[in-house]
Amino acid sequence: MERAENISLAVWQRARPVRTRATTKSFAAALIASACLSAALASWLPLQVSIVTVFLFAGPHNWFEARYFLMRLPARFGRSRNFFTVAFAGIFLLTVTYVSLPALYYASVWSGENWPTAIATWNTLLLLWLAALVILRGKQNSKRDWSWALPAAFPLCAFNWLAPELFSLAIVYVHPLIALWFLDRHLRRTRSEWLPTYRRCLMVLPFLVILMGWQLARTSSLADDNGLFWRITQHAGAQLLPGVSSHMLVSMHVFLEMLHYGVWIIALPLIGASGAIWSVETIPLARRRRGFPKLVAAVLICGLFVVAVLWLGFSMNYAVTRDVYFAVAIAHVLAEAPFLLRML
Amino acid sequence: MKRTLIPGAAIGALLASATFVFADLAQPKPSPTPEQGKIVLYTSLTVAADPRASEARLQISQETLNRIREGAGNSSVNQSVTQRLMHSSTQTMMAGLFMFLAVSFAGVWLARSSHSRSHKAAAAVLVGGIMLSAAAMMVRANAGPPGYIRWQGLPQALKDGKTTRGGTDIEIVPGDDGIKLIVPLRSERRPGEE
Repeated sequence: MERAENISLAVWQRARPVRTRATTKSFAAALIASACLSAALASWLPLQVSIVTVFLFAGPHNWFEARYFLMRLPARFGRSRNFFTVAFAGIFLLTVTYVSLPALYYASVWSGENWPTAIATWNTLLLLWLAALVILRGKQNSKRDWSWALPAAFPLCAFNWLAPELFSLAIVYVHPLIALWFLDRHLRRTRSEWLPTYRRCLMVLPFLVILMGWQLARTSSLADDNGLFWRITQHAGAQLLPGVSSHMLVSMHVFLEMLHYGVWIIALPLIGASGAIWSVETIPLARRRRGFPKLVAAVLICGLFVVAVLWLGFSMNYAVTRDVYFAVAIAHVLAEAPFLLRML
Repeated sequence: MKRTLIPGAAIGALLASATFVFADLAQPKPSPTPEQGKIVLYTSLTVAADPRASEARLQISQETLNRIREGAGNSSVNQSVTQRLMHSSTQTMMAGLFMFLAVSFAGVWLARSSHSRSHKAAAAVLVGGIMLSAAAMMVRANAGPPGYIRWQGLPQALKDGKTTRGGTDIEIVPGDDGIKLIVPLRSERRPGEE
């Protein structure tokens, strides 16, 4: 039986280049330069940069994530059967309910007064699902005691019921940072000599966030006088935090999104985490005997088609496509949880 | 040290949470109060003088009108957490239920856990939570200058024919009295000078 932990390590090990101190320094310089450039662009033209980055990178980064998840999916689940059953059931049910919430609202199935309760219920299901995944993952290794998951999840549930919209906003801001955690785990496995440098570079992020907050906190709010700009400021939390400059909120969100896209589209493929992009040989489902190479290839090609459709939608009606994208994209946010847990 | 720290942190957490939980207080008798309006949107307002106009005009952009409509349909968004909890017994009960479950499960986990590191981590989380709760109560004062500052120059600006811009809450009030603009002007005269 093929163990998920060892699936693609051989490929990554073969892809490992000659390690030198110079490459580590180059890696650190590239990371810091990218973060600083992202922060500068996001602070300078937040709305415009938000539109451009989502247009260009939202679809492709989802394709890279989907390919990465296929690569991390074991050909046989074995002892992980329960874990993956709960994971996939949760991803499916939570995505369907999340997408149906606005649909039911616009269909006037319930009034706006019940909206916080609906959001809080969904957030609670999400937290309990995450706790179940953590516990199931912890049980796969007798040395781990991850039973703290429930005591940790319940206070979050309580906070969620006190302020459901703020909790949802926190997810919007925390999700981009998860990509940095994926990169950390991959560097640990494939470029362990870069890991200390990477973690030191991560310490620059709080300074950039503080610097952006300091510079932008007193700026006047963005002129959200058209539907698209209004949607972007609302997505960043301008309505929930009326006392905070929407310029700062949008800049902060765009900055984190740019980091997120950068990790999935540039950093992880560059260190070989995604394998050769066009080859399905690194995907266990395609590689194993009696596997499904044609099906996997078809899924990836369909993914490219969806990316093209997304670009077309953005070109025709950016605002509506953006709304639809961010509703459906909850699936990739959820899918990150089980695959990250598999790497811990 | 550990024996003192963990119970101390637990008691502190309970005391801190007690400030948010008023569930054990007797419900006061409802007194008849006038129906209050609800704030549906915060936006900016510009007051401009026009010597050629014969009627006062209130200009609202289409987007702002859409947002007012949306806000009126979903008024809970702009309420504070306290206001919302006062009107939502479901949210209060669910938050209390999960707080109860959190304390219960944390206690069971602490009792079953044999690792001292876990105890230290739990104590650290509890102490951190208490400090954050205390800090959250103190930093309410750091909320920025009040909105009325921007409106102080309005009378002079109207005399000079200049525009004045400041923040405005759009409030939907019951009745049929048209539109009223309430400007937060503070009298500069001290009490007793009149």
